[in-house]
Amino acid sequence: MDNRYVQQFKKGSLEMILLCLIGRKETYGYEIITELNKNASVWGYAKEGTIYPILYRLQEAGLIQCRLAPAAANGGSKKYYSLTNKGTEVLNELILFWSSYENCVNGFIAGYQQAEGSE
Amino acid sequence: MKEQYLKKVKKELNLPRKAKREVLRDLNEIFASASEHGETEQQVIERLGTPKEFADSTAEQFGIDNTALKNRREIISSVAALIVAIAAFAIYAAAQVEKGPENAIGRADAVTTIQIAGTLGFDASQILFTLGLAAAFIAVLLIIRLIRRNRRQ
Repeated sequence: MDNRYVQQFKKGSLEMILLCLIGRKETYGYEIITELNKNASVWGYAKEGTIYPILYRLQEAGLIQCRLAPAAANGGSKKYYSLTNKGTEVLNELILFWSSYENCVNGFIAGYQQAEGSE
Repeated sequence: MKEQYLKKVKKELNLPRKAKREVLRDLNEIFASASEHGETEQQVIERLGTPKEFADSTAEQFGIDNTALKNRREIISSVAALIVAIAAFAIYAAAQVEKGPENAIGRADAVTTIQIAGTLGFDASQILFTLGLAAAFIAVLLIIRLIRRNRRQ
């Protein structure tokens, strides 16, 4: 399943998912990609070309912050991301909205499935 | 391959210097992390997209339309080049007219050994003419590139 509609779903939720991953624990680029790819069967493979631009946007918006830590095996340094207070706030709002959104969408689905079943 | 990729991104990316340095540092980390996990540079590049794609989507997230900015810069430099060309040709033309006809009185028909003090070994108007030509050439090149890039989109 990789059509246009599915792409739209993914696009809309990727930022929230990234905020969740970063909010769980301080993490770095490659770890984020690896975590996302654990769900590759649903999500498809995550690409740095997609993820990094979004990280820049989240950072510009003040939702995440980063610090550089020296990493010997990594050619110098690794950038660790964490949520800012504003980021935590926004994520909690998003999660709340997601729950009601999910209920709402499920309601439409249930309505459709009932109608299908009664035919 | 990685160096080439970084170089191209650097060229394509229009961001404030600090942000640009940040993005290039991140790219270095991306390549380093991947190679630490046994991936090839080619694999990383496939995930990053072309340098232009990466640069454009990155700039976009910083709120900058990469191509528009580059177009604007190029339009400004072609206009500047055109102005230089026109100015150089105008001065050159004015100087030519002031010289008067070849057979005017007081002008030697034959080669003379008289040298006017203060002149250089070459004619200043020739330099102007060359400068004008070079500027016009640069302007034409820039304009062609601009048209080409915008047609591709």
